[in-house]
Amino acid sequence: MTARVSSRYALFIWLAGVLVCTIVILRTEFSADLSAFLPRTPTPVQQVLVEQLRDGVVSRLILIAIEGAAPAALTQTSQRLAAQLRQLPENFAAINNGEDAGATMDRDYLWRNRYLLSPAVNAEHFSCAELHAAIEQDLQLLGSPAGALLRRILPNDPTGELLRLVEQFEGQSRPALQHGVWFSPDGRRALLVAQTRAAGYDMDAQEQDLALIQDAFANSADATARAGQKLLLSGPAVFSVNTRAGIKADALRFSVIATALIAALLLALYRSPLALLLGLLPVVSGALAGIAAVSLGFGTVHGITLGFGVTLIGEAVDYAIYLFTQLTPDASPAGTFIRIWPTLRLGLLTSLCGFSAMLLSGFPGLAQLGLFSIAGLVAAVAVTRYVLPALLPPGFTVHAGAGLAPRVTSVVRRAPLLRYPLLFLSVLAVCFLVAQNRPLWSDELSSLSPLSSRDRALDEQLRRDIGAPDVRHLVVIHAADEQSALAASEQISAVLRRSVEQGDLQGFESPAVYLPSLAAQGARQAAIPPAPTLRENLREAQRGLPFRAGLFEPFLRDAAAAATQPLLNRADLHDTGLALKLDSLLVKRNNGAGWAAMLPLRGVSNAGAIEQDLARVAARPAVLIDLKRESDVLYQTYRREVITYALLGTAAIVLLLLASLRSLQRVLVVLAPLAAAGLITFSLLVLLGNALTIFHLVGLLLVVAIGSNYALFFERQAASAEERERTVTSLLFANLTTMLGFGLLAFSKVPVLHAIGSTVGIGAFLSLAFSAILISRSAGPMAAQPCV
Amino acid sequence: MQNLAAVKSARGRFVERKTMAMLNTPLESSGTLIYSAPSRLEKYTLLPTAESLVLEQDRLTIEYKNRKQRRTLLLRDYPVIWIFVESIRSTLAGDLATLTRFYRIILEGADDKWRLVLTPLEASMQSVVKTITIGGSHNRVRTIEIIEAEGDRSLMTISEETP
Repeated sequence: MTARVSSRYALFIWLAGVLVCTIVILRTEFSADLSAFLPRTPTPVQQVLVEQLRDGVVSRLILIAIEGAAPAALTQTSQRLAAQLRQLPENFAAINNGEDAGATMDRDYLWRNRYLLSPAVNAEHFSCAELHAAIEQDLQLLGSPAGALLRRILPNDPTGELLRLVEQFEGQSRPALQHGVWFSPDGRRALLVAQTRAAGYDMDAQEQDLALIQDAFANSADATARAGQKLLLSGPAVFSVNTRAGIKADALRFSVIATALIAALLLALYRSPLALLLGLLPVVSGALAGIAAVSLGFGTVHGITLGFGVTLIGEAVDYAIYLFTQLTPDASPAGTFIRIWPTLRLGLLTSLCGFSAMLLSGFPGLAQLGLFSIAGLVAAVAVTRYVLPALLPPGFTVHAGAGLAPRVTSVVRRAPLLRYPLLFLSVLAVCFLVAQNRPLWSDELSSLSPLSSRDRALDEQLRRDIGAPDVRHLVVIHAADEQSALAASEQISAVLRRSVEQGDLQGFESPAVYLPSLAAQGARQAAIPPAPTLRENLREAQRGLPFRAGLFEPFLRDAAAAATQPLLNRADLHDTGLALKLDSLLVKRNNGAGWAAMLPLRGVSNAGAIEQDLARVAARPAVLIDLKRESDVLYQTYRREVITYALLGTAAIVLLLLASLRSLQRVLVVLAPLAAAGLITFSLLVLLGNALTIFHLVGLLLVVAIGSNYALFFERQAASAEERERTVTSLLFANLTTMLGFGLLAFSKVPVLHAIGSTVGIGAFLSLAFSAILISRSAGPMAAQPCV
Repeated sequence: MQNLAAVKSARGRFVERKTMAMLNTPLESSGTLIYSAPSRLEKYTLLPTAESLVLEQDRLTIEYKNRKQRRTLLLRDYPVIWIFVESIRSTLAGDLATLTRFYRIILEGADDKWRLVLTPLEASMQSVVKTITIGGSHNRVRTIEIIEAEGDRSLMTISEETP
């Protein structure tokens, strides 16, 4: 009677749980934030960079390339595409393809404000002596080929401020021009850069923007003119949208395939639709609980977590398989559980140890996968243990592949013959791994990126084409407000200019070049002498030089205007290409964290010396970052951390086994096949050309966690030959479903899923096979030995 | 043109006289001009101030000795300068294809005293230069006269280098 009542409670709790989980899931936000699988960044400097990746200007840039036709045809497509996209100012803040549109605005801004922008303007600049030197230099320039260009601006700008401003941008690489639009240096691709209004993380908006670009491309020429032309898109937004779409497709496809295959397997095994339905119950409950737990724990559920859910289908169904296969007509479910529960529970606990290591890792994405699996497995086991018995019709028994069992058993009986070959293979694997002369482990942070290597290669190619190589060295300045950030940039620029002269670096960019601080602008304004003084200085300076009288009247006019013009602020840059540049170098940080200025350095040859020079003036916190070193160190730190957690996880599993088996010898017997499986799995992965990453390591931990279940069941003393047969059959099917779940993930294009999927897929199968070979007791004299 | 194309290298002294509306007196300079087929042209000005111009393929390097300043321009970034220097280089190289890309060409005179009149095709260039007239005999270029849109003019006379 009590059993009935408690099972009724169980049913009620289960239904309520399903309801709560469903409600939580309906309110869940799903994300595909690419940074989730990058380690959490500890330093404030890295924080600034990650913020930039999320919603800075960099995250809003879409690189567009058109290839597959003659340059003339590509030029036309580029122009039409750009013209169409410029009609959509609500979606795109700027479209650059090298056409003059933006450049004119830029030149205009520099020209009109040259006296406020030029760093050369100081108290001495308009003195008689300096004016004379400047005009003498003009005379020399007039004689050179550049004279033709100089002649037009000379009357307004005898001191050469425009040239000086333009010089500051020299050395910044720009894309090559052909037919008036940007082209790759080899002339094969026309290039455009679109800046979206939506932030990089706003994926619905980005998806729409990408569709607009594709439509515009389709409309940019009639089909015959466009024949063979191909549109290539890259950039953070493209990655996020593609990754999200890829994960969505993968998660859906693999879930459907896994469910279908596992359902087919269950049907073949039990030949009973009821058994199939009941068998899937723990799976569905586990998936609901997993998603709900992640949603509550993290606020959002990452798309990759859903993809990972496929593995849960394969694992959670195992518990029902164990139960059904062990059910005999003469034993109640409760009785059966008394027999198998200790082993099942131990198996669950070891799995949880494995997934806990993921939960504790520094990767938010990996932690989600861990929590998802833990909640899912616990729910699946609970449903199997407490809900399924209540739902099973009295006397329910399944016909577990009767024809198969004897054959499987006979294979297992002969398995120990392979002991020595396996030992030999393991030794071979150790030798193989030791003898590798290329590094086994990928040392780069990029190996963790959820992008496929093909996407990455395309992005690198387009970036090279457009002349925007990845910046490696960067000075980052923190300040309370915009003006102090600009003032600090000016101060640091002065230091960097000296470093350039010393040859420690080739050049650098600074936001203050585009928008000087109000203080600097004011000082320059004050340096312009009153009109009569300037006129007198100029007259003196012209003495002995052949310039026509009155030639420089426009200069006197412009200088007088500059002396009283309103000072520049961010709004004055509106609609220029320079605004884009400024916004990428000077950013207001989220959550009132102040402002950050970034000064990218070019051609650094002596980073140490620059660091020392900066330290000498460092009244302000300016930090020189080597992005490559930074990210490599970060990666190595995290790999160490994951290795630590993996070792702790393994240690926890060993302790668990010791505690429940109470025999060192039995624990070693259980661990031997797992060690062999791990070794040979890694060898296979390396043999297949993989560079091992943190994700493979996590996969290996899961192999130990899951494989220990098999080893435990093999190791368990069976009461009868028949029970042994049942055990072996259930293990085989449980293993098949696990392999299906993880193995399918190996086909995913998302690197993290692929890495974990292939490792666990191979490893789980090997664990079972090696358990059969190393632990199986049915063969030979082993069978006669009393068990401990 | 074939005669010119056959010249692999040439060296001469030049005197250049520029008359500009901006200046009260003409600007005079002199120095050495060196050409190596097919695409290198060097102009070393010695007077009034030392200055060198080296054109190699698509880059132009200008060096002012007195100010220790050196600057390299990519011609494609400065179309006006490009078309300018191409008129001289392509003539020396006998490269009719490049010349016709930028200019309308009239060739007058006889083999021992010819005159090549170049009129720019592109509007951006027309607003700078009206005509460039290159005079010579056989395979030597003797004079280059540039008449600018706004009336400024320059005349360069090239004489054989006396060894």
